[in-house]
Amino acid sequence: MYGKGLRPLSIATVVAVAAALSLVFFYAPLDADQGFIQKIFYLHVPLAITALIGFVVGGVFAIFHLRSGNRRWDAYSYVSIHMSVIFGVAVLITGAIWAKASWGHWWVWDEPTLVSFLIVFLMYATYYPFRYAIEDPERQARYASVFAVTAGAFVPLNFMAVRMAQSLVHPRTFGTANGGLPGSMMFTFLVCLAAIALLWVTLVKLELTAKSTSGQLKRLRRALDAPAPSSGGSRIAPEVS
Amino acid sequence: MIGLLLAAAPALPLDEAGKYVAGAYIVFLVLIVVYVAIMASKLGHMEKELRELASFAEHRADGEAAAGSDREEVSADV
Repeated sequence: MYGKGLRPLSIATVVAVAAALSLVFFYAPLDADQGFIQKIFYLHVPLAITALIGFVVGGVFAIFHLRSGNRRWDAYSYVSIHMSVIFGVAVLITGAIWAKASWGHWWVWDEPTLVSFLIVFLMYATYYPFRYAIEDPERQARYASVFAVTAGAFVPLNFMAVRMAQSLVHPRTFGTANGGLPGSMMFTFLVCLAAIALLWVTLVKLELTAKSTSGQLKRLRRALDAPAPSSGGSRIAPEVS
Repeated sequence: MIGLLLAAAPALPLDEAGKYVAGAYIVFLVLIVVYVAIMASKLGHMEKELRELASFAEHRADGEAAAGSDREEVSADV
């Protein structure tokens, strides 16, 4: 059921990513200030935006789960958070590379944007052991949803706090009165954002399809009354039927 | 082909900046490839399990069919 539409979505993602990379390296002009290093912006910022929105989406799915009690929403929430954590790893690494190239340091502790993202990332990194620590599947899903809602509400608050911090170090690309980016750069950025968002959706759908298939296999094994395999599914991940 | 691409690019400085930009994009690519490899491994496990289940179901169906024919023979003898 989850696999429906996965193929066209995957094709659209590949096309979008290829278009985005082409625009980044063949269309977007070099930045007057940072030069070629600024090309990291087209990867790093869309990844960060997608990861943060993914965390919020995970919280919204968790609200649906708490309201309806349907475990399917819990699976959506889990997979959204899982994928955003993976994207978060990419954000931290690409951000560190950009920081090293621009500022000469891999990490700057007095920069609110970096530290706040690290806090959000570490908070979501605790989601797995938190979930794993609870044996009962119903309680596990319920507590994980409460975590996802609370943490999801923290993400926009954290973002606003950083915007209000008025840092002098981190560039505010979209913060100037004239929009900050010239048209060609903005267009390239938006295509990159769409491509990364499509990639997130595709990978979430792929993960859900895999979990659904795994759940169906378990049901089939139970129906056939066969012993459970040693290489069974994860205890952390929720089953999707 | 690569020569054409490099000629069409506005400027691909392979100096200090190019190294960092390449690093960032390669890290992203590696992450995606690792994720896809993990998913492929999971798919392999599922395929193996499905094969085992199919084989188990076939054996059970064969066993039930054989038992059914034995019962029919016994009832015919009686």
